[in-house]
Amino acid sequence: MTYRVALVGAGNMGGWHATHWKRMEGIEIVGVLDPRQDAAAALGPAFSDWETMLATAKPDIIDICTPTPNHREYVERAAAAGKAIFVEKPLSRSIEDCEAIVAAVEKAGVPAMAGHVVRYFPEFAAAKKIIDEGGVGTPATVRTARLSGFPNITGRENWYANPDKSGGVVLDMILHDFDWLRWTFGPVTSVMAKGLFGSSRFDEGLDYALVTLRFASGVVGHVTGSWAHPSGFQTTFEVAGDKGLIAHDSLKSVSLSSSLRGAEGGRAAVIMPESPMIPNDDPYYQELKAFVQALRAGVTPPVTVYDALEAARIALAALESITTGKAVTL
Amino acid sequence: MTTTSNPLKIGILSFAHGHAQSYASEIGARPGAILAGVWDADAARGRAMAERYGTTFYPTEGDLLALGLDGVVVASENIHHRRLTELAADSGVKAVVSEKPLATTLEDARSMIDYCAARGVKLATAFPCRHSPAFARLREQVQAGALGDILAVRGTNRGTMPGGWFIDPPLSGGGAVIDHTVHVADLLWLLLGKEATEVHAEIGNSFYHEGYDDTGFLTIGYEGGVFATLDTSWSRPKTFPTWGDVTLQVVGTGGVMDLDMFGQQLEHYEDATGRVTWPGWGSSLDGALVDGFLKLCAGEDAPDIATGEDGLRALAIALAAYRAAEAKQVVTV
Repeated sequence: MTYRVALVGAGNMGGWHATHWKRMEGIEIVGVLDPRQDAAAALGPAFSDWETMLATAKPDIIDICTPTPNHREYVERAAAAGKAIFVEKPLSRSIEDCEAIVAAVEKAGVPAMAGHVVRYFPEFAAAKKIIDEGGVGTPATVRTARLSGFPNITGRENWYANPDKSGGVVLDMILHDFDWLRWTFGPVTSVMAKGLFGSSRFDEGLDYALVTLRFASGVVGHVTGSWAHPSGFQTTFEVAGDKGLIAHDSLKSVSLSSSLRGAEGGRAAVIMPESPMIPNDDPYYQELKAFVQALRAGVTPPVTVYDALEAARIALAALESITTGKAVTL
Repeated sequence: MTTTSNPLKIGILSFAHGHAQSYASEIGARPGAILAGVWDADAARGRAMAERYGTTFYPTEGDLLALGLDGVVVASENIHHRRLTELAADSGVKAVVSEKPLATTLEDARSMIDYCAARGVKLATAFPCRHSPAFARLREQVQAGALGDILAVRGTNRGTMPGGWFIDPPLSGGGAVIDHTVHVADLLWLLLGKEATEVHAEIGNSFYHEGYDDTGFLTIGYEGGVFATLDTSWSRPKTFPTWGDVTLQVVGTGGVMDLDMFGQQLEHYEDATGRVTWPGWGSSLDGALVDGFLKLCAGEDAPDIATGEDGLRALAIALAAYRAAEAKQVVTV
């Protein structure tokens, strides 16, 4: 059977999902809900009203790619309508909203998956496999970093810059790391964090956080989140155990590098490392495909909203630690 | 200036710390100084080192100090730094440099500082990392405002587990945390010019599962709100290509700078050993430390060298980390 997909939100992530949905067999985009009708129409049949979309497009899957503050509303609507749900991360901005999402999904008994896509990044997946197979022995320390410039949206509200909406680099970006860490090393018991969230620096367009985690297993973790790196994007990780160590740096582990002459000649206009993948290996394609496969098989999707709640719990504890200056016990 | 006709006479008290060999070699390579003699509680090791560095082994500390030395290097187990430093100060030397950490308690460190000061002896702490040319360049850029206001620093001083007395807390005062906090703590002091006010630490022993700490993740708050973290863990496995690292990621309103202090390395693949190693080719930081120390021994100023107070300041952060781990909460330094 073909699954009918309705996208909610035609921003950056909605556009990215649409690209992958269109390449996937057995998927049809039947509706795109966004107040910006041009943006919606560029991805599929445009709708400006939820009820109309539901009645007209008759979707099987609701794919929620709105800004974070709207997640709860649309999950609750989709669950009440009995639809399968894919919801982007972070699940929501507060524990209360995250718990409401989990409750709505459980009450409706609908399949739901959260967009913790880093589990599908091949370098992170490969590292987890090696760790699970004992490749570093018993893990003792883990460090990850996710570094970029301050996110910018032009032509509409840059909701990332609103700390109440995005939660800054901790909730929006290194939440990815918290999910991968929890998936790989189990539950977290204590969170200590320092960061620029809540300071005047955030309003100046800077965020940077250093988060220390203690896991129930005894592993000690450290996560760096930066929206203070003006050049490019970088992820790094290192897991050290009692019998080995595994490490990655996205700026070193690349398969193609270019240094291109600028229009004036001489000086390079742009220097860019790339690690292209075969399209079907793209992590976003892989996560959406895994969701559809779970739907077809009638099994629980591989990343549940409960997983997303628990990742958000770590991130929100980090924000609490930043705000109070104290370590937070979970 | 010192001349070869009147070289400074330097003695080394103990080769328990491996760095003593580097200092012996650097001293021997300088025309303005001679390694006049060595003492070691382990006489066999002391004799071997005396032979290796072309000097005389003295069976007691007193015999060596009776030579009328200009300066003494203390490179014993941490617990003995105080006793040996104070013995050296009594002998009339102009300067003593103690291996880091300066001591294992604040009381001992304070005593060393006061004891030397009362006798007009300059006390230095062996913090070679502050002599790194890459760090000097970073600090110069920070002070020139290239990064704007400094907001945060992420530091690491990870290493391989050193073994020996380093993992015997009665001799070392602790494990990875006391061993590896102090270098970066000193760099942060130089970079920020601010005192640490609070420390949080997750400390563990999951690498070697023994009665010493091999894991340390510190969070440090500074006057004015700048924050830092520091990984002191002995997390490099036996097969790691090098001993460890010292790195700083410095974040300011104007951008970010990353220091990899020992990043000047080759990659060496060697079938004979079945291993890959990263031999360093950077400047000798111990050499720069010895140059500064010899100035102190000559009665000159050496403003770049770490003092006893610098050693104490860094030690206080390491000791606060142990308290924080015990309390499972942020503590004041």
